[in-house]
Amino acid sequence: MSHDLPEQPAPLSGALIRPFLDTVADHAGDGQGDQAGPACGWLRPFLLTSGRVARDGAIAIETQVVTTEQGRAAGRELSYERRDIVTLCCDPQSVAEIAAQLQLHLGVVRVLVGDLSGEGHLAVYLPNADAAEDVDTLLRVIRGLRAIG
Amino acid sequence: MVSAQSAEAQPASRRPPLPVKIVIAGGFGVGKTTTVASISEISPLTTEADMTTAGLGVDDASHVPGKQTTTVALDFGCITVDESLKLYLFGTPGQDRFGFMWDDLALGALGALVIVDSRRLDDCYPAVDYFERLELPFVVAVNRFDGAVAHDLPEIRWALAVDDAVPLITFDARDKLSVRDALLAVLDRALERARRTGQPRT
Repeated sequence: MSHDLPEQPAPLSGALIRPFLDTVADHAGDGQGDQAGPACGWLRPFLLTSGRVARDGAIAIETQVVTTEQGRAAGRELSYERRDIVTLCCDPQSVAEIAAQLQLHLGVVRVLVGDLSGEGHLAVYLPNADAAEDVDTLLRVIRGLRAIG
Repeated sequence: MVSAQSAEAQPASRRPPLPVKIVIAGGFGVGKTTTVASISEISPLTTEADMTTAGLGVDDASHVPGKQTTTVALDFGCITVDESLKLYLFGTPGQDRFGFMWDDLALGALGALVIVDSRRLDDCYPAVDYFERLELPFVVAVNRFDGAVAHDLPEIRWALAVDDAVPLITFDARDKLSVRDALLAVLDRALERARRTGQPRT
């Protein structure tokens, strides 16, 4: 799955990555960098993604990701963030959890997960778009919450 | 969650749960993170930096007693409903300039809980506007800071100009059961909508 930088980025994708870049630029400009928080602030997201932005809107923030057998086998050959993701997802994780655990920007995780999925290292379980309006699903959630005491 | 460390485990046997989500929205410092923390089975996770550096000059913490930092990205928690269904709670940044994130969060959400600080009602206007426009089921929940609400609920409803059909409740973000009931109010709305639109069982 190739995500070359689009000539006309989808509005969602562009918007996802830019505020973060602005934030990093501000830190660098005013010398406040020491307080920049997570280390990911120093690695510009586009360096991790070779300048690409996520275009695959299907990978939602709650999308579940699991490492495949192939990904497990390939784990040690992968580099840096890619290896981290494949290692982490031996237990199913959401995209949001991957971003939080590895301190990576969500946009970066989307791109990398898309790549790794395309290469067969990860299985991506796209959320059921109808779940939000499915009566049975809602009733299960309600029952589950009521059980919390 | 089932451990999947054994090498012979097949991907099919580790099929992840169906994720569903509720958006927790509201102005800065209204208790979104507290709400998530009260009921989440994991400590709320955050993806980005603290507002004390990144949001300087944008968020005004001086009106919120004791509030030092907030997150500029999103924080979230989760509740395992059953082995094949997991509910995620996403706390959205309350500021307009993070509106870019809302579409992403709201897409496919079951509904939203808009948290209100009755001392600063206007902070929640963007969230209310947004969910109304999106026609996402939502509930307005007034956080009882120190057990008190600064205005009567009818006054708050009038000030927010929300439809009578939108439930307006009070809750305590620090109390697990109170948060649970607020989420159940959101789910009731979602269920009403689902039954109205008659989405057939798949």
